[in-house]
Amino acid sequence: MSVELLMGGGGSELLVDLKACKGFGAMKLEMERSLCNVDHYLLESPVNIDIGSKRLTERQLRELEDIMLSHGVHLKNVVSNRSPVLSGNTIPINQSVAEIAESGDTVLLCRNLRSGQKVLAQGHMVILGDIHPGAEVVAGGNILVMGALKGLAHAGVYGNESAVVAAILLRPTQLRIADHITRSPDGEDVTVNNPEVARIRAGKVVIERLKF
Amino acid sequence: MKGRVLVITSGKGGVGKTTTTANLGTALTMMNNKVVLLDTDIGLRNLDVVMGLENRIVFDVVDVVTGNCKIKQALIKDKRFDGLYLLPAAQTKDKNAVTPHQMKNLTNELRKDFDFILVDCPAGIEQGFKNAIAGADDAIVVATPEVSSVRDADRIIGLLEAAGLTNSRLIINRLRPKMVKKGDMMDIDDIIDILSIELLGVVPEDEAIVVSTNRGEPAVMENSSRAGEAYRRVARRLIGEEIPMFSLDDSSNLMDKMKKMFKLAR
Repeated sequence: MSVELLMGGGGSELLVDLKACKGFGAMKLEMERSLCNVDHYLLESPVNIDIGSKRLTERQLRELEDIMLSHGVHLKNVVSNRSPVLSGNTIPINQSVAEIAESGDTVLLCRNLRSGQKVLAQGHMVILGDIHPGAEVVAGGNILVMGALKGLAHAGVYGNESAVVAAILLRPTQLRIADHITRSPDGEDVTVNNPEVARIRAGKVVIERLKF
Repeated sequence: MKGRVLVITSGKGGVGKTTTTANLGTALTMMNNKVVLLDTDIGLRNLDVVMGLENRIVFDVVDVVTGNCKIKQALIKDKRFDGLYLLPAAQTKDKNAVTPHQMKNLTNELRKDFDFILVDCPAGIEQGFKNAIAGADDAIVVATPEVSSVRDADRIIGLLEAAGLTNSRLIINRLRPKMVKKGDMMDIDDIIDILSIELLGVVPEDEAIVVSTNRGEPAVMENSSRAGEAYRRVARRLIGEEIPMFSLDDSSNLMDKMKKMFKLAR
């Protein structure tokens, strides 16, 4: 699975899904594996575990807690079939298909994204920070980077061709809007220091100066 | 036609696996072979950057093994050579997404279309290493003339033997002839004594490598680069030619020649 940070409003929580595990040994392994895959910046988030219809003894719970502590996370809650549904901010961390958080229209992210980090948002995305090469920003709507965009940005991921990508410094490794994929031409080193915006015009991705 | 799968590995990081992969691949292509470079360093991919192909990546090796796309869709054609392709590693996906079995199937698939499949192995001896060597016919071990690097290479050779790759060959990278002459650096014979495997080549330390790596253009393309020349020789040995080993005097001769030319000019 991939470690993807899904944005919700406010602080997020992690959810480890142990429903499918047969027996306690498998649960421990799955917990270990899931936590190994969590990015460091998520590790301060509280963790919930979903055990489905299974039951845990006191001792087994303590063992799982020990695994979590060794990875620097704390157990918040154990979820089973009988307990109420969690709040909307819960992030499942061991599902291969990204579940998009049902949050507001626009997500604001106040940090830099580094190589290997990937952020998804269903609506628009505003980033106060830089997108480094190797990082990915994917949004259903528009993407606005108040900083340097040097990594990969994919706006209108569900097919919205009117989505735009704007950045103070627009130097993406690769730029995608809806199902169009573009990159800067080889050997060309254009130095533009104005904010720019990329959008689809007549079936092509074009880059224009951003006018306020 | 059945392609050869060569894994380039070292155990220790930073000794030049990726540089070696990029340069050998390019050199082999320049000798009219069809080559694919396979980056298995999932999560810390570099080969695409060294080859200058980073901005072309759409699909990666994880997409291929999980059936998300076809091999042909993920292969990136080099911008300079027709017979050179890159299959990039994933950057944002889970590194355990690939199993040795899947890698073996992948390399066997690639064998049908390519003369050489060069697998760039990640540092370390964990899952990534096991994946990288899974489909390999032979291994190329890269080591620098440092005790730590040679120790790790020894460990790697042991692991390769355990996995059935018994005729690994060695590339000594970043050798500084002057330091060896002064006795400040391990020399080629010392290293071969310790590792007791066949020597495939010696690549001298060369500042041009830093430049070419940063530009995304392999050094073998530059005729003036000494490391590039060494990689071309290694590539010729790989296709079975008998090429004498790099000799330590080469560099001093070159320096002498330069000095002479300089004097003549004055």
